[in-house]
Amino acid sequence: MCLNWSEKMLKFVIKKLLLMIPMLLLISMIVFFGLQLTGIDPLNFMVSPETLSANAGNIDALRESLGLNAPLIVQYFRWLGICLTGNLGYSFSGAPIAETIAVRLPYTLELAGYSLILSAVIGIGIGLISAIRQNGIVDYAGRIFAVLGQAVPQFLVGIILIQVFSIQLGWFPAANRVSPGAANPFWDGFLHLFLPVMTLTIGMVAVLMRYARNTMLDVLKSDYIKTARSKGIPEWKVYLKHGFRNALKPVLVITMFRIPMLIGGSVVIESVFSYPGIGLTMTNAITSGDYPVVLITTLIIAAAMLICSFMVDVLNALLDPRVRLGE
Amino acid sequence: MKKVFAFLMSVVMALGVFASCGPQQDSDSSENSGTSAPEFEESSLKLVLSTADGSSTDDRIPTPWYNRNMATNLMFRSLFIADSTLTSVKPDLADYTISDDGLIYEITVKDGLKWSDGEPLTAEDVVFSIKTAQKAASINAIYTSAFAKITDMVVEGNILTIKLAEPYASMVDVLAQFAILPKHVLKDSDPLTIDSDPFWQHPVTSGFYTIDEFKVGNYFTLKPNEYYEGEPPKIKKVTVSFVTDYVTAAQSGIADYLHGNATDIVEALRKTQKYTAYEVDVLFYKYFIFNMKGIDGKENAAMQNVAVRKAIIEAIDRAALTLLYPNASVLNSGVPDSYDAYNGFSYQFDAEQAKEDLKAAGYDFNRTFKICYYNNDQTSTDLINIVAYYLGQAGLKVETTLSNDGTTDLFTTRDYDLGFKGKSAFSIEEWYTEYLSSDALFANIFGGDTAFDELVAELFAATEEEKRSEVLRQLQALEQEKVYKVPVFTVGTYVFVSNRLKLPQDVRFCNPLYSCDLNFSNWEIA
Repeated sequence: MCLNWSEKMLKFVIKKLLLMIPMLLLISMIVFFGLQLTGIDPLNFMVSPETLSANAGNIDALRESLGLNAPLIVQYFRWLGICLTGNLGYSFSGAPIAETIAVRLPYTLELAGYSLILSAVIGIGIGLISAIRQNGIVDYAGRIFAVLGQAVPQFLVGIILIQVFSIQLGWFPAANRVSPGAANPFWDGFLHLFLPVMTLTIGMVAVLMRYARNTMLDVLKSDYIKTARSKGIPEWKVYLKHGFRNALKPVLVITMFRIPMLIGGSVVIESVFSYPGIGLTMTNAITSGDYPVVLITTLIIAAAMLICSFMVDVLNALLDPRVRLGE
Repeated sequence: MKKVFAFLMSVVMALGVFASCGPQQDSDSSENSGTSAPEFEESSLKLVLSTADGSSTDDRIPTPWYNRNMATNLMFRSLFIADSTLTSVKPDLADYTISDDGLIYEITVKDGLKWSDGEPLTAEDVVFSIKTAQKAASINAIYTSAFAKITDMVVEGNILTIKLAEPYASMVDVLAQFAILPKHVLKDSDPLTIDSDPFWQHPVTSGFYTIDEFKVGNYFTLKPNEYYEGEPPKIKKVTVSFVTDYVTAAQSGIADYLHGNATDIVEALRKTQKYTAYEVDVLFYKYFIFNMKGIDGKENAAMQNVAVRKAIIEAIDRAALTLLYPNASVLNSGVPDSYDAYNGFSYQFDAEQAKEDLKAAGYDFNRTFKICYYNNDQTSTDLINIVAYYLGQAGLKVETTLSNDGTTDLFTTRDYDLGFKGKSAFSIEEWYTEYLSSDALFANIFGGDTAFDELVAELFAATEEEKRSEVLRQLQALEQEKVYKVPVFTVGTYVFVSNRLKLPQDVRFCNPLYSCDLNFSNWEIA
């Protein structure tokens, strides 16, 4: 049977989506049993040693009520069953995880979203200018910035920004996402987001800038650019229509792959800025031995990675005719 | 078709990013007053709670039944209120009398008390709170120990009669810490998990303030409790921010009140020059424990000889270790050297003598001596490295392990010789309860030895100071004879108060993990 292009694309998309299910299941099993292998008893994080000493009866009852006495495999499938109902279960601290995620995930997506847009605009922009004006001031400055941006750890950038702009200058708050009593939520949001967004952006700009520059340089050396120039097409048109369009495809792919890294990177940045997103939730869950929350947050990051990977595949299929969609 | 599909994909992706951007406003958050954030902050008392040390999560107010903190002290009251020593109390919600035999407490709850929602606060709330605490899991052990002695509680009007199985000397002091919670709101909660009840986002309170707004992950604000019957506070707003780092919070000006004992925090806060530091002596023990024998019969042969254990302690210069903390004092027993009840014994640091003693005791210098600790701060790591150095000087081959789960590694896995841990104690009694043969954790390393049981019971029952001192001296002699655990030092803490606050002259701070009378109603923002 010969399928037309849209039917092939639909089949391709469905196949990729279905493949994500066993991968997520596998990841959940690895994380679940991996956490158990650490031998950490979550009750030791929930109650103090003094309470464990003096209150053994109540602690045993709590262990039973949390289902921690059941065999591991039972605990896993019980957790999976709860997840499939959509409520995601409860953290060991008693909070419904779905509610926690509903509050925290938008904070993280907001942080990652703004960083992505800013870094894409700045990184690709400077990268293209660096390629067009190779060995110019922008190119040199961009290359130095790219090396520094990639070499300096993000948490250090965050700490430096807090020290300078929050503590010394007092321009931006050093913690949280919302200030009490803020009359203008948008301005308040801008102030709270500025430093963490800049921290994430600096690292990502460095990567995108280098990638965009190198890709554009390759494109500008290609035959069709020479042909375009020989036809007398204006230089700006050569850069934009022939150079930029062709350089954009691989840059888009790398940008897409940076999204889960932004979400993953927020684990550290949110802790530095006391920013109440999914990353800080994950950090707190790890330090308090809260397995159910660690599991869900890890799965969210894994799912983000898979979805981005899926989107890259689809984008590649759309933009590159050499990709076979299969019958 | 391809272009249409690509366009649609781009639109969906862009919409996905933007639609997900920006948190929704909490529907249950109250409206703010309309003032700007800086104005709001200037007129507020600014407090912070840390989510990094496990003492609080940022989705609810931490239960006052575990550790107290300034925020919960301003919201929840106890039957009595302690002074800065935590050992002398005066009436708060109630007054009391104790029978001569120390077995019956008659507690008279004040008339006309109300919760912040206008409901009456009665003796029934007290009974409910104590009964719930007896079944709770996340609760400070001082309450568990004290309430285990209660055999009966009877309410007649506003008088509650509590009967004990045996005298419990510090019962009143414990009740002065125990926050009374509202029965009418919490009666259907599961006592086991009461600390995670939704109540803790919008609690009904009995103290100076009640909740105004709770913004999950960010902060909560407090407003005066209109039903508080005492002298109202001069400060009309309190903001409590959730943070991951106290030092940054202090440096960036979002904290008016902080406390800490670690060198980095104390030094950093002193440098800011924005705070007045108050030194507070607290019973925060840092101590060594020896892994000897579990009740399961598993024995660590190398640590069975008391001469070995004593020599190991005397191989370490504990005075040098105190230099790592800004306010630490060497200890030789559970009773600080400055107390009248201290028996005068001290471990003498002498590396050469310790080496000779170890040889004489037949210690095998070829085995690896294992140290396990769980505090992952730099000061603790430095301290353990110094201990390892001293023991190396005495000829031991030392290996140190930083545990991710100290309770499991110290009391269940037990693959170590010397453990290092900390304990913030409410009273000296807490130090000695760890020797009880019934202690669920320490019996796993002290072998369930019953030698201390009788004396510890006597200590808890000793209501006269003279008798208490006598029992304490006997306990010190016994612990120095057994050398199961040895205190290194107590770490005093510092309370830092912002210079923009004006405090009454008579304020005396107590251990900040507990509650005491700070004359808060007269605190002002300068």
